[in-house]
Amino acid sequence: SPTGDSWGIFTFLCAALCNLPALPALNCSEELGAGQSIQQTYDLTRYLEHQLRTLAGTYLNYLGPPFNEPDFNPPRLARAERVPSATVDLDLWRGLTDNARLAANYRAYSRLLCYLRVLDGQVGMAELRHRLAHFCASLQGLVLSIGGVMSSLGYPLPAGPAAPPAPPGAPAAPNDFLKKMDDFWLLKELQTWLWRSAKDFNRLKKKVPPAVVTLRLEARGF
Amino acid sequence: DSHIQYERVGADVTMKCGSMDWDAAVTWTANGTDIDESHLNGSYLILKNVDLSQSGQYSCYEGSSWHLKYQTNLRVGTPPKEPVLMCRSNNYPKGFYCSWHLPTPTYIPNTFNISVVHGTKDMVCEKDAVPKNRCHIRYIQLFSTVKYKVTLTVTNALGKNFTTLTFDEFAIVKPDPPESVVAKPVPNNPRRLEVSWQNPSSWPEPESFPLKFFLRYRPLILDQWQHVELSDGTSHTITDAYAGKEYIIQVAAKDNDIGTWSDWSVAVHATPWTEEPKHLTTEAQITETTSASTSSFMAPPTTKICDKGAVVGSGAVAVCWTAGLVVAAYSVLFI
Repeated sequence: SPTGDSWGIFTFLCAALCNLPALPALNCSEELGAGQSIQQTYDLTRYLEHQLRTLAGTYLNYLGPPFNEPDFNPPRLARAERVPSATVDLDLWRGLTDNARLAANYRAYSRLLCYLRVLDGQVGMAELRHRLAHFCASLQGLVLSIGGVMSSLGYPLPAGPAAPPAPPGAPAAPNDFLKKMDDFWLLKELQTWLWRSAKDFNRLKKKVPPAVVTLRLEARGF
Repeated sequence: DSHIQYERVGADVTMKCGSMDWDAAVTWTANGTDIDESHLNGSYLILKNVDLSQSGQYSCYEGSSWHLKYQTNLRVGTPPKEPVLMCRSNNYPKGFYCSWHLPTPTYIPNTFNISVVHGTKDMVCEKDAVPKNRCHIRYIQLFSTVKYKVTLTVTNALGKNFTTLTFDEFAIVKPDPPESVVAKPVPNNPRRLEVSWQNPSSWPEPESFPLKFFLRYRPLILDQWQHVELSDGTSHTITDAYAGKEYIIQVAAKDNDIGTWSDWSVAVHATPWTEEPKHLTTEAQITETTSASTSSFMAPPTTKICDKGAVVGSGAVAVCWTAGLVVAAYSVLFI
């Protein structure tokens, strides 16, 4: 769009951030082994969903009204279509192959993680930044966990988020209200994805034979 | 010809005798009974501050010929108050239903119109034959971030009113209570009760959308419930029941991840297994197997166990008192 595109900036930053090495905060390699469990991934989605509830509340308060009002129900603008949406045709969702189901989750969270990291970089409050960073680390753990399941089942990992060309000319400052709307929809889609993933992994639990995937039921400090 | 006339409670109603002049001589009847002339203003019938009891058929007859000149069916009622609307998904992910009612009756016929909007799309809520005042919607999309907005309008001859509900797909998920709850004693286990139940039949896909359960139980004689949350399986064995006490047990269900708990199931009653009475000793404790009743040959009605009349012998009395103390101690712990 001619008036400058905050999503263009987002995706550009995403590309930059996502090519960085994985966050050092999460020491994953020993804990993820071969045969990453679906149960563990499921548990992670529940943990993240729970975390997000408090985080989203705090963040929306930080944005201020009307974003923190419980009955705030804005129309979905076209610009919000860039955030991967969990919404899916019911019959289509039912018929997804295991590979497609896992890939959809992997792609979605990879992109959501990117957007969230950009968000984190722009927040003024230190406390909120700290919590966002912690959430991002956990979300990265989820992406890795899903990747682990896919690898153990022999599925190829989807390609990472593509780097779009930088927007031509100087990027215009985004409208402050529209930027907040973007944040609102990002959090909403993230929450919906976590609810959807719980259902996706339920279906995978039943369909994938237990011999292929090791079930690890111990809590991981959640 | 017949005619229906709707009027508000408390209104003043003037009925004209068809095309008759004001000064014509007429007789009015209400449900066949003559109306006193004091209610007439010329040939007009005046009813002041009407109430529900004045509903009925009013007829006007020409004085001398007794020809029927006019007839109307008066229905006294009220305009509708704001209706009560509720929407719920007890069959996720198939869809949801909405049901409604008026908080107070209007005493006259009402029509309900329901509209469902999902973002920019209008959806059709199919009315159910039974029960009335209910309609259902099938989901086309799942995991939607856009809210559903349901508007219910109620209209009658005296006015209209409406209410709206706006909600997210996940917020209205609430299963029906578990079905076929059964509780049985376990032979040779005086502190156990085996409880089993089934998924509500309205929940269409328990394999992909598993339910978790909440069990609550208490002896009839105590007010405090004990709770157990079960994340899978449709049975549970209670292992800490008080020997010989009758229990009341209920189960509720919830989708594993979203929505709210169902209402409690129908309550079932059960008493743990008790051994046939033998000799009582003073060492017998409430946690051991034998029950405290002595002389009767039937299973004791447990709440009466410490009735002075039912107990014979000093040994039995000692057990009774111990029972009372232990129960009291447990109750104090639960406070």
